[in-house]
Amino acid sequence: MTENQKKILEMLAEKKMSVDDAYRLLNVIDSKESARDSTLKPETAAKAKPKYLRVTVLPDPANESGQNVDRVNVRVPMSLIRAGIKLTSLIPPEAREKVNGALREKGIDFDVRNVKPEDIEGLIEALSDLEVDVLSSKGEKVKVFVE
Amino acid sequence: MKRPPMLMRVKIQGENRGFGLWLPLLLLLPLALAVLIILSPLILLAVLILWPSGWGKRALLVLSTAFGVFCSLRGLRVDIQGRYQCVYISIV
Repeated sequence: MTENQKKILEMLAEKKMSVDDAYRLLNVIDSKESARDSTLKPETAAKAKPKYLRVTVLPDPANESGQNVDRVNVRVPMSLIRAGIKLTSLIPPEAREKVNGALREKGIDFDVRNVKPEDIEGLIEALSDLEVDVLSSKGEKVKVFVE
Repeated sequence: MKRPPMLMRVKIQGENRGFGLWLPLLLLLPLALAVLIILSPLILLAVLILWPSGWGKRALLVLSTAFGVFCSLRGLRVDIQGRYQCVYISIV
């Protein structure tokens, strides 16, 4: 309950305004608040829709102009990641067991049958907050992020 | 579904040699479609033979998923500059 709504109800309790006036004022406050929420929603929706996964490796700024430096700039469309996850549904049952076995050998107790297309959007939305920032001992900056 | 990519650019530069390639993917699509139409009786026959075992349905799904993956490549960019090599791949 907001402060304004509380004041209106207090005034109604103290009989400083009629029930009709209180009802009208509460409706006005409610419509203003829902208008504010709807202006915020497109921003949050736009923020939550990642388009690319970016991986960059940049050299040490002190050494940036040198010839013998490694630079990496990779941009992967999220739609490719979605399509790749859908490919898991095409793995034949015989191969699935081998894949699961190989994952278990590496200590990953995961069944590829559990990957469903409807889980993809939630996974990709969660990726929008992913940010990896590593500074190596050689001064190279490794960044993994979503934009 | 996304539109298929139109152009692919590949550039590989080594120490002594390099090569660059511009591939008009949009022009290759009609060619691939023509090949698919020509081979369609064989594909259909293979699907019918494999249908009872479940592989026929999987084969059809592979075709449609492969096209989906191809369309999703739009926007992919790989730019790697090493000490002795540069690799640049861009799909637009």
